[in-house]
Amino acid sequence: MRRLSVFLALFAVLSLLVAACAVPAPPAAQTGPEEASAEEAVTLTFWTAPNPLQEAFWKEVVDEWNATHPAIQIDWQVIPAGASSEEVLLTAIATGTAPDISTNIFSGFAAQLVSSGAIVPLDEQFPDFWELAETRKMRSILEKGWGYQGHYYVLPLYNNPMRYWWGTALLNEAGMDEPPLTYGDVKALCEAIKIPGERYAIMFPSPKNWWDRWFGFLTLYYAASQGAPYLDVEKGEVLFDNEYGMAVLNFMNDMFRNECAPTESLANPLENGLVAGSVRGPWSIIPTAEKFPDFEYVVTTPPVPDAYPKGQPVYTFADTKGMVLFAQSRNKEAAWEFMKWYFSDVQHDVSWLEATNLPPVREDLTTNSLFAEYFDANPKVKAYAEGVPYSVPPALTPATIEVQRLMGREMIEPIWFGTKTPEQAMADAVKAIEDYLALSK
Amino acid sequence: MATSISAQERVSAGPAKRPRRIHWIAYLLVAPYVIYNLVFWVYPFVWGLIIAFQEWNIVSPRKEWVGLGNFQQVVTNSQFWNALWVTAKFWIVFLPAVTVASLLLALMLQRVSHFRGFYIAAYLASYTMAGVAYSVVFMLLLSGNGLINTWIWKLFHVRVPWFTDPRLAMISIAMVVVWKFVGYYGLIFLAGLNAIPRELYDAAAVDGANAWQRFLHITIPLLNPSFTVVFVFATILSYGIFTEPYLITGGGPLGSTQTFMLLIYQKTFENLEAGLGSAMAISMAALSFASTGVVRRLIEREVAL
Repeated sequence: MRRLSVFLALFAVLSLLVAACAVPAPPAAQTGPEEASAEEAVTLTFWTAPNPLQEAFWKEVVDEWNATHPAIQIDWQVIPAGASSEEVLLTAIATGTAPDISTNIFSGFAAQLVSSGAIVPLDEQFPDFWELAETRKMRSILEKGWGYQGHYYVLPLYNNPMRYWWGTALLNEAGMDEPPLTYGDVKALCEAIKIPGERYAIMFPSPKNWWDRWFGFLTLYYAASQGAPYLDVEKGEVLFDNEYGMAVLNFMNDMFRNECAPTESLANPLENGLVAGSVRGPWSIIPTAEKFPDFEYVVTTPPVPDAYPKGQPVYTFADTKGMVLFAQSRNKEAAWEFMKWYFSDVQHDVSWLEATNLPPVREDLTTNSLFAEYFDANPKVKAYAEGVPYSVPPALTPATIEVQRLMGREMIEPIWFGTKTPEQAMADAVKAIEDYLALSK
Repeated sequence: MATSISAQERVSAGPAKRPRRIHWIAYLLVAPYVIYNLVFWVYPFVWGLIIAFQEWNIVSPRKEWVGLGNFQQVVTNSQFWNALWVTAKFWIVFLPAVTVASLLLALMLQRVSHFRGFYIAAYLASYTMAGVAYSVVFMLLLSGNGLINTWIWKLFHVRVPWFTDPRLAMISIAMVVVWKFVGYYGLIFLAGLNAIPRELYDAAAVDGANAWQRFLHITIPLLNPSFTVVFVFATILSYGIFTEPYLITGGGPLGSTQTFMLLIYQKTFENLEAGLGSAMAISMAALSFASTGVVRRLIEREVAL
């Protein structure tokens, strides 16, 4: 009995200890930077994406801030290692150890965080929010794709309009002076260069990850439909079950069934000349140049149906991420000072572009002379920047991951492996997604 | 008379009472282990049990009691039963493959007279390797244009879709896991082999038993404790596969590698359905416990040397 008592006492003490560590401390009264004396500097924690190019950039930015703002110091680190940034951030929020500010937040994840009250509505909290939006030249972009439930929670950092890369060597071998722009062009390319089991015309992103729907089906859907929405978030309805969605599925199906697209996973297939074209983001430019210096390619908009209106701009998917302020932050005003400082200086965007090749979210990206020099020296990056006005972010829904997983499971994988007709795959995906949205309302 | 009374008194009084002492040193010595278990096993388990009866999205402080609602969802969730089928497929491939491979390894190691420790360490290295590292290596090795497929293409002019064919993906993952565990399980068999007395083999040889008969009638029966341990470990492991499918296949193609752990991870951390994820984890633990019991009942025999 005595032993049991000792054990229970130990367990109780330990449970209290663990609980004390796990339960977030109650938020203290907000401390404005003006209240912080030089002796009592406010320290903000700031997490950024685990990416070597971005890490180098943010280190310089934070060093600059810390040197010039002794009253508000930034404790910067990359998002700790984990299965995904989202998982790490969620765990941090649940355990009360979230940073004050974090980058690398995509809109769907932001919607999840909003639903739980984990991030701050910036336009509501800070009266100078729209002033900052004007200064950074991003008001119209914010209004078009970043509002959620009537408020704005994310300051978008960069916007990657997805593009297709076509290997010049295979285009030359096919005798094509121009890269493929339509489905018909891709089919023609396939006829010219295909070697069954060895060489293909196009590679679609693997069906294994939910985020690959952004770069595969949704990029082609936005291109075919001139940027039409694919989901009605309010009504919980699928909108991609139309002629454009079917055109994309039929195109993918044709490519797989005619061995114009590989169904197996390939390492660096574009650079190794195993496929002629593949969807890529601007983040691939620097690593490709370093690893495959002899590889030559052209950057184009995603292929569109043959009946696409001539002369019209081709829309694409915007892989865009931004910065948020967490509700757990005890120094929101100080955090906002840092966010304002960063976003109001155009030079930060110039440095960002030079460091990462990722186009900053600005309306004047292709007209501001500060960016012109870099674009002239880097025409491939310019091809991406030109797509910014025609790039559409994903639907703002907390159900992003499950919706895209269902898209993959019911529609893309069956097309990939030829287990369903495009019509059946579309019908199944629509039903599964709408059922899920109805349940999760 | 006096003697008998005192004896009676002694019997009725029982043994003399000594003041109980708390052995603080002993408690101190076991404290690290107890604390470790309390923090990393008991506390999460109790918390997981509570969450299983709640609806909670991890981020929000709001939790709602839903009774058995999450468990009802588990029972009607087709993905959960698919995960059981995937686990069964993995187990059917993994268990015989890892048993045969690690037993052969142990038999070979037993015959090695020089550098045995080095060989054991070499085979055990795969067990200590980070899952992420070897998963990426195998992904590249077995990709359509990877080293293995390049050889196969040169020899037979075909490519094997190791991870992209729904019929083959789980088998390929099972083989990767066999590679990881063959050294560890081999060590268990080696310990079992070393415990078998040489005299039994000598006596059997004198009686005219050939090598195969000695292996079949001495080695296999007397290795029963090792077989039991390996079978139990392999069965528990089958329910816990995560890193390889997460990194290599993402649960696909067509859900063919969607293991329990992957499903629980997706429900909990991606869909933010922590209650459902927890209920799935508890249900899976019950299935794992039951499977282990069945395996033990079928395999375990008392061995007297």
